Amino acid sequence: MSKPNFTLEAVEWAAWMPTVEAATATPRQLAALDASPQRDSPYFLTLAHDVDSLEQRSPLFHAVMYAPRGLPRADRELATVVVSIINGCVYCSSVHARRFAELTKQPEIIQRLYNEGLGTALQPRQRAIVDFAAKLTRSPQEIGAADMAPLREVGMDDLQIHDLIHAVAMFANANRLMQTLGEPIPPG
Amino acid sequence: MNEPDIVDAAAGLSSGSPIGMLRRQRDVFVRHTRGSHDVLVVPRDPAGVSLVERAAAALRVATIERDPALSAHYREQLRRAGADAATIAAAGQDAEVSAASPRLAAILRHVALVATAPGSATRARLDALQQLGLAPRDIVTLAQIVAFVSYQVRVAAGLRALAQEVRA
Repeated sequence: MSKPNFTLEAVEWAAWMPTVEAATATPRQLAALDASPQRDSPYFLTLAHDVDSLEQRSPLFHAVMYAPRGLPRADRELATVVVSIINGCVYCSSVHARRFAELTKQPEIIQRLYNEGLGTALQPRQRAIVDFAAKLTRSPQEIGAADMAPLREVGMDDLQIHDLIHAVAMFANANRLMQTLGEPIPPG
Repeated sequence: MNEPDIVDAAAGLSSGSPIGMLRRQRDVFVRHTRGSHDVLVVPRDPAGVSLVERAAAALRVATIERDPALSAHYREQLRRAGADAATIAAAGQDAEVSAASPRLAAILRHVALVATAPGSATRARLDALQQLGLAPRDIVTLAQIVAFVSYQVRVAAGLRALAQEVRA
């Protein structure tokens, strides 16, 4: 395996199996695709093979990333980039790095995470998010009450921590789908 | 459904506890986490991936992730699906399987790879699964099962830790 080429540029994704075709999709598949972020993407057209699971996953994913209040969106995006770097998901990291950069106007934070690794110098809030996301990704059974202290020190309440846990967990999910049903096409 | 929520049970939360109540502020998360579990592990129509194969895949992931509560849950699902003792034993270990049918052994090997090293998956492996008779839909189902249990384990672990801190 070569080292993943993480980027802030847009990356495409190609499916490893034939996808559902819009022309022959069932009404349920079309409805589930309409409820997905990009109905024409080969990724969602692959997931649409199992429409039962896609019907559940799309609203879950959307709520975890965009539910109002709780953890600010930029913090959720940062957590998902950290998980995607650890798992080596070039496509996921590109999408969510760009969202983070749009929200914060700080693409350089992502570039440093890519270039220098997760230990790069960060503001305290970002440091706490990166460390928690890394530990919950790598060693979920070692997470304990003590791991909440750095999050409390940067002001997180119960709902924000709840949302952070779900953003990290959702990308344990997303990375595995993206990385095992197809592959990224690097920017030309 | 009146039985306790699976994530609550795995995280040691009662629905009236502070973190149990916190979860209900995010009702959509709770509903579709449960819904994902049900359509993946106990679907009305299992189509090309049997109930035994589904529960075995989930048990393999929970075992690899060393989550005792979720491993017990999926072991029970596998038993209810009618699996024999050898199949339950084969799925509930994190090493190579010997006691299963060639198809189940291939499924469990694939599941273990997706759980532990998703970045090392290849198109050739999906081609090999298709040669064993798995349709694209079945391969998507298996990927969703592994992805879901990987998510569920981390939600339970995080909430368990949060509840411990809130109680302390």
